[in-house]
Amino acid sequence: MTNTYITNATWALTGARIDLRMGHGEEIQVEDFDGIPLPGVNGIAPAGEMQVPSGARTIDATGKLVLPALFDLHTSINLEGHSKRESIYRAGQAANHGGVWGMLVMPSRGFVFDNAATLDSFDDAVSQRSFATMVPAGCISEKMEGTQQAPYNTLAARGVTILSDGGKMPESLLMLHRAMKYAAEMGLTFAIRGDVPALTRNTCIHPGTTSYKLGLHGSPACAEEIGIETLVRLAKDTGVRLHIQTVSTAEGVAIIRRAKADGMQNITAEVALHHLLYTHENVGDYDTTFKTLPPLRDRADCEALLAGLKDGTIDCIVTDHTPCLPFAKKQDFISAPQGMVGLDTFLPAIYTYLIKPGMLSWAEVIRACCTAPMAIVNPYDREEDVPVAAPLLLFSPDEEYIVTPDSLCCGTLNSPLLGSSLCGTVTLPIN
Amino acid sequence: MNPRKDLITIDSLSDEDIHTILESTSAMKDIFTKSVKKVPALKGKSVLTLFYEPSTRTRSSFEVAAHRLSADVTTFTVSTSSVVKGESVHDTIDTLMSMKMDYIIVRHKNSGIPAVIARHCKAAVINAGDGAHAHPSQAFLDAFTIKEKYGDIAGRRVVIIGDILHSRVARSTSTILQRLGAKVAYMGPGPLVPLQQHTGIPRFTCWDQVFDWKPDVIYLLRVQNERIDFPFFPAADYHAAFGVTEERLRRIDDLNLSIMHPGPVNRGVEICDSAMDYRNTLINNQVENGIAARMSILYHLTPQTQCHD
Repeated sequence: MTNTYITNATWALTGARIDLRMGHGEEIQVEDFDGIPLPGVNGIAPAGEMQVPSGARTIDATGKLVLPALFDLHTSINLEGHSKRESIYRAGQAANHGGVWGMLVMPSRGFVFDNAATLDSFDDAVSQRSFATMVPAGCISEKMEGTQQAPYNTLAARGVTILSDGGKMPESLLMLHRAMKYAAEMGLTFAIRGDVPALTRNTCIHPGTTSYKLGLHGSPACAEEIGIETLVRLAKDTGVRLHIQTVSTAEGVAIIRRAKADGMQNITAEVALHHLLYTHENVGDYDTTFKTLPPLRDRADCEALLAGLKDGTIDCIVTDHTPCLPFAKKQDFISAPQGMVGLDTFLPAIYTYLIKPGMLSWAEVIRACCTAPMAIVNPYDREEDVPVAAPLLLFSPDEEYIVTPDSLCCGTLNSPLLGSSLCGTVTLPIN
Repeated sequence: MNPRKDLITIDSLSDEDIHTILESTSAMKDIFTKSVKKVPALKGKSVLTLFYEPSTRTRSSFEVAAHRLSADVTTFTVSTSSVVKGESVHDTIDTLMSMKMDYIIVRHKNSGIPAVIARHCKAAVINAGDGAHAHPSQAFLDAFTIKEKYGDIAGRRVVIIGDILHSRVARSTSTILQRLGAKVAYMGPGPLVPLQQHTGIPRFTCWDQVFDWKPDVIYLLRVQNERIDFPFFPAADYHAAFGVTEERLRRIDDLNLSIMHPGPVNRGVEICDSAMDYRNTLINNQVENGIAARMSILYHLTPQTQCHD
């Protein structure tokens, strides 16, 4: 058995300086450190105190942080016009660059997880082609059409724990109510974005100064809030575990805060990183990169989302990674698809814009991007019959780089950070 | 005026650009009074009208303007049904580039399309109306009409009444009038008038507030039913609540206010019959000035097609 020694690293969670011994072989111990399992680690000591045998493989991590790699609870990987294998390969590569070791893959066009065969072929392709662990979210409804429930029992037998129609709120509450009642018994979680489709049809931006100036239809915040309130009531009635996706409004945060205060322990929620960083004003003069679903909102919403994250109302930060081909995003704002990519830059962007300015601590980020999403998904190795833990990564906060088309691995260029300078580079996996 | 390739919005123009185009609108109008209505300013240049939305007055106004400047005009007819989501604007642009057009006058139902075309095209692109975004040539003809009537625009008060939400005319005309020192207010059915905190423009919802504000010009808009997928208000209320009725016309007459409308007019909805013949109704002046304003716009834009030949 060969060991790799990581010396003089800084444990991001607490700032403690440590040496680590990582083993590659059968005698791997999984140690718990500050409550976080460390797979592959078989020894920890304060910095400078670990005996490193001469000739042993050593990584000097002076000035680097060590932390568990991130899990992204909301990724779409479909690259229009490319094979599924290419989509999987690109997303996995991008994830590793952004410090993400695993992701919940949303059903999307090209990846309609409503049957066993699709899930099997997906798992097969992932095991051959992916740098990252990819957990598929099963469909709520067949073909994501919102009319007939997908076969949950079949999906659960293939390891599905989360159901989602990929950001679409089913229009039929009757279908959803019955689906939740049925799935609650199986311990499945519903991941849904709060929405009232009738109120948001044909809209593409937050209603405000930008929508007025550009003459674009605004998507009212109340649609999301009515949707969230509806989902909360359904979860209360059915007892199903509910994960509310991409909360974007201040009032949406308040509704979830009230529900949690009422003792509803079956609710979790996420915010997309871009909803913390950008507002509708970033759309500027029809910049389609900033067309997202739900739309980017006001500065006050960003602040409320961050406050919700800090007080635990919002559990996770996600990428809501959505590759869009350059051709599609070059169309006019109304025709262009919604979404931006975020996997490639996830951890560096969080560090640059949230941790470095002191808005979030490393402990809060590790909770929101690793422990909380993993508790929601419970990734499980069905072959080994063991829960899967996040591997460690090394992060060099002082290394700056500029995001260029060449530095993006995800296969498309719809990143709001193209041309920006980010602090921090990721080494994942460590070897 | 510095060489400018496109006219997409009023916002993109400098004060100097606005003044230059307005001043030569007057010179262009003088041309009409001569027996020969044509000047050779754009001789040999090609103008394409690319209208993805139905239009009678704007398109013919641009065509007449181009003819009076001696340009060759081609009409590209696009049925709205061929514009499907996902269709490549770029393919259209490539086609237009191959035709070596010097000026492209474009109207589209989607806000932002002319800007996309302008970015990828060497021809001078003129926005003839895109969705609810902008209609800059209308703004120029409106500003010119007010200037012609009152001598100066600064200090004048113009209230724009109707469906502001879907109106590119409201956006462009309010912008140019404010840039020229006028005060603008909006009035209409609540759901169709954006909030003042979004527009920076006073917002009224009844005529009493309009008269209290002491406007000089009542600028009426059509309710754009073609842009409305589901009713915003009970249509039967419109004339009585927001239209120029006979009774309101008397008050408008007493106060000597002007009435403007970008057309087409829906008689009996936003305006009563007799208001069309009211002495201070400037609707026909707007149509006439539209040709002069569009001649001025064409004259002042500089296509980058020469180096492409």
